[in-house]
Amino acid sequence: MRARRWASVGLLLALVQCTNNPYPDADEGVRVRYQALPNVIKTLDPAVSYSALEHAITAQVYDTLFEYHYLKRPYELMPALAVEVPQPTSHPDGRVSYAFRLREGMIYQEDPAFTLGGEGRLTREIVAADIAFELMRIADPDVTSPVVTTFSKIEGFSEFSQELAARREDPEFAALRIDQQYAALGGVEGIRVLGPYDLEVVLREPYPQLLYWFAMPFTTPIPWEAVAYYDGEDGRDFFREHPVSTGPFYISTLEKQSRIVLSRNENWYGALYPEWRAPGTVYPSEGEPGDAERGWLDPEYVGRPLPFLDRIEFRIEKESIPLFNKFLQGYYDASGIILESFDKVVQEGALSPDMAARGMSLVKSVDPDVYYIGFNMNDPVVGTPAGDRGRKLRQAMSLAVDVDEFVRIFNNGRGVPSQSPVPPGIFGYDPDYRNPYRTPDLGRARALLSEAGYEGGIDPDTRAPLHLSFDVGDPSTRTRLRVQFFVDAWKQLGLDVEIAASNYNRFREKVREGAYQIFMWGWIADYPDPENFLFLLWGDMASAKNPGAPNTANFADPRFDALFLEMKDLPNGPRRRQLIRRMLEIVEHERPWIELTHRESYALYHEWIRNVKPAGISFPSGKYVDVDPELRSRRRREWNRPITWPAYVLGIAALALVIPGIVTFFRERQ
Amino acid sequence: MLAYVIRRGLYGVVTILGVLGLLYVLFFLYADPLDMAQRAVGEKAPPEVLQQWIENHGYDRPAHVQLVDHYVRMLTFDFGRSDADDAPIARRLREGAIPSLSFTLPTFALGLPLAIGLSLFVAYFRETYIDRAGVVMAVLAMSVSVLLYIIGGQFLLGKLLHWFPISGFDASPDVILRFIALPVLIGVVGGVGSDVRFYRTVFVEETNRDYVRTARAKGCGDGRIMARHVLRNAMIPILTRVVVAIPFLFTGSLLVESFFGIPGLGAMTVEAIQGNDFSTLRVMVYIGALAFVGFQILTDISYTLVDPRVRLG
Repeated sequence: MRARRWASVGLLLALVQCTNNPYPDADEGVRVRYQALPNVIKTLDPAVSYSALEHAITAQVYDTLFEYHYLKRPYELMPALAVEVPQPTSHPDGRVSYAFRLREGMIYQEDPAFTLGGEGRLTREIVAADIAFELMRIADPDVTSPVVTTFSKIEGFSEFSQELAARREDPEFAALRIDQQYAALGGVEGIRVLGPYDLEVVLREPYPQLLYWFAMPFTTPIPWEAVAYYDGEDGRDFFREHPVSTGPFYISTLEKQSRIVLSRNENWYGALYPEWRAPGTVYPSEGEPGDAERGWLDPEYVGRPLPFLDRIEFRIEKESIPLFNKFLQGYYDASGIILESFDKVVQEGALSPDMAARGMSLVKSVDPDVYYIGFNMNDPVVGTPAGDRGRKLRQAMSLAVDVDEFVRIFNNGRGVPSQSPVPPGIFGYDPDYRNPYRTPDLGRARALLSEAGYEGGIDPDTRAPLHLSFDVGDPSTRTRLRVQFFVDAWKQLGLDVEIAASNYNRFREKVREGAYQIFMWGWIADYPDPENFLFLLWGDMASAKNPGAPNTANFADPRFDALFLEMKDLPNGPRRRQLIRRMLEIVEHERPWIELTHRESYALYHEWIRNVKPAGISFPSGKYVDVDPELRSRRRREWNRPITWPAYVLGIAALALVIPGIVTFFRERQ
Repeated sequence: MLAYVIRRGLYGVVTILGVLGLLYVLFFLYADPLDMAQRAVGEKAPPEVLQQWIENHGYDRPAHVQLVDHYVRMLTFDFGRSDADDAPIARRLREGAIPSLSFTLPTFALGLPLAIGLSLFVAYFRETYIDRAGVVMAVLAMSVSVLLYIIGGQFLLGKLLHWFPISGFDASPDVILRFIALPVLIGVVGGVGSDVRFYRTVFVEETNRDYVRTARAKGCGDGRIMARHVLRNAMIPILTRVVVAIPFLFTGSLLVESFFGIPGLGAMTVEAIQGNDFSTLRVMVYIGALAFVGFQILTDISYTLVDPRVRLG
């Protein structure tokens, strides 16, 4: 009996297995990539999902009509599910249409949802009507798609949305299946399904950026069966957590709170038709200069069919320190660098010898984004109503901010000081351009302040330092310290800038009410086009005029607006570049923003992971990546041998502490 | 006793109704639906989409209608859907209960006998250096923050010694023990200090009583005295402490779950706080309140079971 008890204790201990490996032993030797997700995903509904976190998954699962070339920069669109990238057709009445043609014979992953279309059916062909269906879902008010405004440029789109909401008041209509509801309204006028593989989209006005939206998961083909079947009833999932894949991977495990596993989709068109050698189904043979040196054009991979991995495992890892430590142990293939370990990992801008000795590589990339300090241009002191005086005040404040110093102190030197709203990698970015108001010059700043009537920063009305308010939507000490840096810079000019820190909700409320003077914000590209950055200063997008619109500086300059309207519809070329340059000159002079940085990401990769080229936008990059599982297993074993002697020392120390006491106690008792 | 239980039950109902009222005021009356919508749909969503979200979730209805709906839903256990991702909250509760229980139950099951055993041990050797060293170590252990145990445990046992995974969770039977070993160890070590300190005091007080002296005079062995007589007579304070801790087994641990990435109810609560997901948060607080009130009544009843002198009335 006693022997059996000890055996069970022994078994229990054996089960605990003294190992720090968080993955099952069966994973050894499998081509699986381990990635950390810093947060739980909310939705995988492609019409709704709009965060980089969710796109990391949806971009691998949902293929789109177009995608970006994996290696080329500036980003270049290439056909994916579509046969080619279409040219717009202009109509005499100002409308513009695009004709999309899908490849024939592509099918969805196998899924029980397709039984709605016929008993025993587990998949079906991907057709143009599925893209029309997804576009109608974006218009559907019940879906609450965040990109509804973008697609409202499609003829009849808003009308469809309104009519659908009105017809749903009738319970009989609301009870109809989703595709039947859309069909009952006759669809959207500007979305025309011309055949099984042909779709025409008609826009009320030119909008060349539309094509970029067809490279994002929002516009992936969605089978109506999936939306109708996955309704959350009778134990079925909701559609938002059950994607039906068109991409190289499908979701094989979805435990939203802990892990998401993507497995190779054998129904993907790249796997079914390798002979097509479609652009997104083979590893590219050309990229930008330097790619070959970085190993991204390795002959071992060039021209080989994709994907290389069998699985991608996403694990939720909310805390950055455990994540980084697991990376160091080899249990994640890549990681960012946590602030706490930055100096240990990066020395003089390069990988430290310790880390290099472990075979890691450091890849730096500049993200397509911009962070800036903005002035509320409707404010009577810092804005347009103050005329030349306000402009000179803004110019002076811009000249006082030393971004290099800011980046050095707060970002460990990570970040490219921005000269304009257009970041590197986006057409119109000029690496040689130097904004005359973005090089710190306190002498010139003081002179400008005097010209503005604020000699020494003194407000002549109050005879005290000019008092301004800097609104911040994060009351944390970390943010306060950052903002204090700017406040101190302006103090050198004699200005008294107060930090008005509130929580984010209150901050947004202030923005809605227009009750702010100076603020700090950022913008991350939706798509790689200068329009996506310069529209942040377009008068029509002023948030005071159009609540929720992104021009929170409320900058409205007729010259800028005219140039913007011409620029946004032009293809990339000399004329467009010239217009952008003129727009930047206006921004440079008017100073609605003090441009701060374009973020610079530092990523660490282990030696066993290949072909990871950073991309700042939503991208189906998982199919290009490969790992060497044997090398990984070897390294993990070397780095993670359990050290057991402290357990013995601890046990002996505990016994040494207690036994003499017990012996003495009983001896005395006797 | 029945009258007592009914009376306590009614007090409990009043308390729960009060908690629900407070929850509504705190979470829904002062929360801005527009901010909730923005969190749910995203920063870049246009105003009309945010308004649609507010309508879809019923936050555009008059306050009194929402209040009645709030009471009806909670009292009928119709928890509705999360504001963050529209997932049914009842399903999330079911999914989160297993990861939470998978480490809180072993922590409780190992921690309680260990604490009682150690307390009996040091109480038995009272006024020797073992007792004094035990008390010093218990005070030290209870003075250290749980956060330090977590970070220290992850660093020492996970990162340096490679005994356990630093964090993570996998419910597969072949690996689950790997993941819960360190949280359980930390839970046990983190809780044992204050428990030993408390139980030791109770036991030492009991060992000075007349019945112990009488038992010893009659030739009863020390081990038998401690295990049978002292332990049994110290049950009321032990029960008070133990039964009150049981509700927290179900609600999980906010810190341990967050740091170890255990997808339990504690992590769900933290996530709801961070994401302004008041629908989920109110359910978590409501369930916590219900369990607390229920187990308080059970504690009172349990007194009568361990001590026949106790009468509820």
